[in-house]
Amino acid sequence: MDYVLQFGQVAGQVPYLLGGAVVSMELAVISFGLGAVIGLACASLQAYGGRVARGVAGAYVGLFTNTPAFIQIYFLFNGLPEVGVLLPPFAAAAIGLTLVAGAYLAEILRGGFASVRRSEVEAAEVLGMSRLQTIQHVVVPHLLRTLFAPLSGFFIWMVLGSSISALIGVEELTGRAINVSSATLRSIEVFLVAAVIYVGLTIAATALLAGVGRFAFRVRMKVI
Amino acid sequence: MPLLAIEGLSACYGRLKVLQDVSIDVEKGGVVALIGPSGSGKSTLLRALVGLTKPTSGLVRFGDETIRYDSAASLRAARRRMSIVFQQYNLFQNMTVLRNVTVAPVMVQRRARATVEAEARDVLAKVGLAGKHAAYPDQLSGGQQQRVAIARALMLRPDLLLLDEVTAALDPELVGEVLDTIRTLAAGGMTMIVVSHEMGFVREVADTVVMMDGGKVIEAGTPAELFDHPKTERAGAFMAKVRRP
Repeated sequence: MDYVLQFGQVAGQVPYLLGGAVVSMELAVISFGLGAVIGLACASLQAYGGRVARGVAGAYVGLFTNTPAFIQIYFLFNGLPEVGVLLPPFAAAAIGLTLVAGAYLAEILRGGFASVRRSEVEAAEVLGMSRLQTIQHVVVPHLLRTLFAPLSGFFIWMVLGSSISALIGVEELTGRAINVSSATLRSIEVFLVAAVIYVGLTIAATALLAGVGRFAFRVRMKVI
Repeated sequence: MPLLAIEGLSACYGRLKVLQDVSIDVEKGGVVALIGPSGSGKSTLLRALVGLTKPTSGLVRFGDETIRYDSAASLRAARRRMSIVFQQYNLFQNMTVLRNVTVAPVMVQRRARATVEAEARDVLAKVGLAGKHAAYPDQLSGGQQQRVAIARALMLRPDLLLLDEVTAALDPELVGEVLDTIRTLAAGGMTMIVVSHEMGFVREVADTVVMMDGGKVIEAGTPAELFDHPKTERAGAFMAKVRRP
């Protein structure tokens, strides 16, 4: 064991790696945002929809939570061209991660719906509040408060999980780390730097979310 | 004419008859206490009065108006005149104390926020919560939360207050503070229907005591009549049990 760490070559590539971190965040934000829309629709259908709607939403959630994200993204990128649909790597990764996020977010949101206290809804009813007022002032604030911590945790998971898109050639942080590693043959140093950037990214995102949670929803979250 | 007249009210949960032909009059300024074993229909009667459990037959008259439980407008009008306080407080956890007690007057009754907040401060002071306006329910004791719930009900300026076992979920040392609040309301002429297991308190504040069992009224009378000289065997057996130290 006479390996000597040498960060000289890697140091020059840090701006390139930080650019990859920006792409990672873009993937996480896009897939989380669009996934939240899908998740909300599925959770609503599962909670309040008819039998067919519940079945369709359940099948989607079941399919995407029981198969690896890698298979789904690989299918979109390498499978669809067989039927004439060519997706660029970033689009295939964004769509794949969105579909995965939608399924998991549906489960998180469904748990939130189930936690709405019937007693508070009844209190609103006897106080004379309309259904819309009850949703706006009682149900939604409860959901935001209850779900803020699990949703924040899932967003962080998406930031880290976006690294899977490196496998289809997306130049996000992991993808760029692989490129630098191939060019410099300094794998240990490159992936140590990439790991530090990931940690910095998630701590910054968690701290931001914890601040929002604390002031907007009275939710206390651990940053580290 | 009584303020509230309940005539032959019945209600079901599925096939289970939870209220059977219940008739009770509540005079203005009077305090009616509902007593009886658990599952006797006391809480269900209060829930039926405010339309949370739909009556299947019978009449409820508020003054000279009959409440139609299948009409949203009629139910809304009735809920404007009677407020219910629940055993588990049912406060809005995402709102401060001040917002809990002002949300309905501002949003439902469309009263001016500044006036409502000034009134809320007075009402909160009356129930002993002057310094707690900015607190959230989970920062308060059970007794304090229940007093917020009473203040919230009072803010609607109801003609009739329904109290559903408001001390049942409290630690023994917190029961007194809530009972004191109710005593003050009774002394101030508030008309109330009170479901309670606190027999000493019932004897002290109630004008009329109604004993229920199996969804039916077993016996009604003054506290002295019911506690000391129950006419029915069932009421006598219940009193013997609750009087046992």
